[in-house]
Amino acid sequence: MRQSALRRFLNALFLPYLPLLIVLFVLLFPFYWMVLTSLKDLKELFDYTHNPLWVHAPSLDNYRFLFEKVTFGSWAINSLWVSAVTTVISLVLSVAGGYTLARLRFRGVTTIGLLIFITYLVPRTVMFIPLAQVLAQIGLLGKIGALTVVYPTFLIPFCTWLLTGYFRTIPIEPEECAMIDGCSRIGAAIRITLPMAVPGILTAGIFAFTLSWNELLYALVYVSGEGNKTLPVGLISNLAQRDFFNWGPLMAGATLGSIPVMLVYFYFMDHYVTGLTSGAVKG
Amino acid sequence: MKLTSASSTRAVPTVRRSPWWSFHRDGPLGYLLISPSLLFLLFMLAYPFVIAIILSLSQKRLGGPITFVGFDNFAKLFATTRFWLTVKNSLVYTGGALLFKFAGGLALAQLLNREFFGKRLATALVLLPWIIPSVFSTLAWWWMLDPANSIINIMFKRWGMITTSIPFLVDATWAMGSLIFLNVWRGVPFFAITFLAALQTVPDELHEASKIDGANAWQRFWRVSFPLIIPVVIIVVLISTISTLADFEVPYLLTKGGPRDATMLFGLLSYNYALGVGQLGIGAAVSLAMLPFLAVLVILALVQVRRET
Repeated sequence: MRQSALRRFLNALFLPYLPLLIVLFVLLFPFYWMVLTSLKDLKELFDYTHNPLWVHAPSLDNYRFLFEKVTFGSWAINSLWVSAVTTVISLVLSVAGGYTLARLRFRGVTTIGLLIFITYLVPRTVMFIPLAQVLAQIGLLGKIGALTVVYPTFLIPFCTWLLTGYFRTIPIEPEECAMIDGCSRIGAAIRITLPMAVPGILTAGIFAFTLSWNELLYALVYVSGEGNKTLPVGLISNLAQRDFFNWGPLMAGATLGSIPVMLVYFYFMDHYVTGLTSGAVKG
Repeated sequence: MKLTSASSTRAVPTVRRSPWWSFHRDGPLGYLLISPSLLFLLFMLAYPFVIAIILSLSQKRLGGPITFVGFDNFAKLFATTRFWLTVKNSLVYTGGALLFKFAGGLALAQLLNREFFGKRLATALVLLPWIIPSVFSTLAWWWMLDPANSIINIMFKRWGMITTSIPFLVDATWAMGSLIFLNVWRGVPFFAITFLAALQTVPDELHEASKIDGANAWQRFWRVSFPLIIPVVIIVVLISTISTLADFEVPYLLTKGGPRDATMLFGLLSYNYALGVGQLGIGAAVSLAMLPFLAVLVILALVQVRRET
């Protein structure tokens, strides 16, 4: 029963190409529209006599606006700083925690694992009011430092969970061989298992960074002052007022905010999907 | 996983058994490695959670003192129609979004679970809505659904598919629909990729065998593949339900609960009480009112996780 070439072509067309194209169009059009809008000047933005799905006179006015009329650079640096610091803190703690939960057997380890899993499930909308009280008590409310303390509350549970799943997929034998050859327990963990966990750690790091980079609720509530705004808060509070929306600069800001994440994602994609699914599937 | 560290001493009989405090044993090393995280979470999650309970039982205005009032906040809250509307909206939003994310994710995973040219690229692109920070993609959707300048309305009108603009964010039903759509748009990629990873662990032999037994594609999926990926499905659905129920960012950007509270959700209502009118007590009560729903979901998730480990 050899299929004819036409038959094979039709099969491939209907499964998967045609449905996939439709799905991808819906999934990706917003990004196309975001970038396109960011390149339109004010005149073209609301000019519907031409085909609006293309930009006829691309301009960088919107991007210039971000740096000249509002302090986009300062928002980006704030976001970058907060995201980097919280990612590093959370990763260090989560690697230690994930290794412990996956590899070490001692009294209470299962309970601790479940407790951390519960904290992973606690939504930020439940915590934002009482956490403000804690921040006030330690004198960080209103300062940018508040975010570096608060973001690990959702990053650590998430990364620990993801890394526990990842550590479980790494065979234990190499570590045991190293110990037989005279390596200490910590030595074997650091020299043997840790290098093998790099894809998982990378994934957790990218996720942690993206989650911080994207965070809005805490940044909105805990930080005050123009100089302390993070990227999402700055964009929304300065460019999306109730009376006037600067759609061009807003889309330019959204494009600039998305590009770093996208680049990192495409660069590390293979690690990313493996790390993500091993955590989600086996965790 | 059957070998634990105890086997390291067993494997080499000449090694002396380490003393109880030694980091060569699992216990001390484990406590050392896990306690920074635990202490941090205790102070920044467990402690504020207690504060949330105290606040919900107190009258507290922004910057004012705390006075204990018992269940007054809850009584006040339950007496408002706005609260019950919020409960209803949250259930509609969560239920609707989860239904479509589940069905869409399963369909998309099944679509991708075959060999074809460009599979790697397609998988990468599918995941993009989930990768791109939601604040920025929601800004793009906001612009696409803008009452006056929605590109969707403009193009549909151009192509003669509609004559009057669709009131995406203005009409109560459309606004809820838009919110659900956005949540699904962002969530489906994650569902699909996770389901796909699970589907790929289903052994080919099972499919071959059932094919020989005369099962068609539909039966092979529901009778062979699906039962095997149920553990993954359960955990993904539960976690996603929790985050959808407690969603804040996307609804805050897109509708702020409007029009006329038609898309008011727990997170937004709590935010409005706390930041809008400075009633921290009632705000805390709103977020704790989510607890019964959350507790059920958390317990189900725990049962599932325990069963797996």
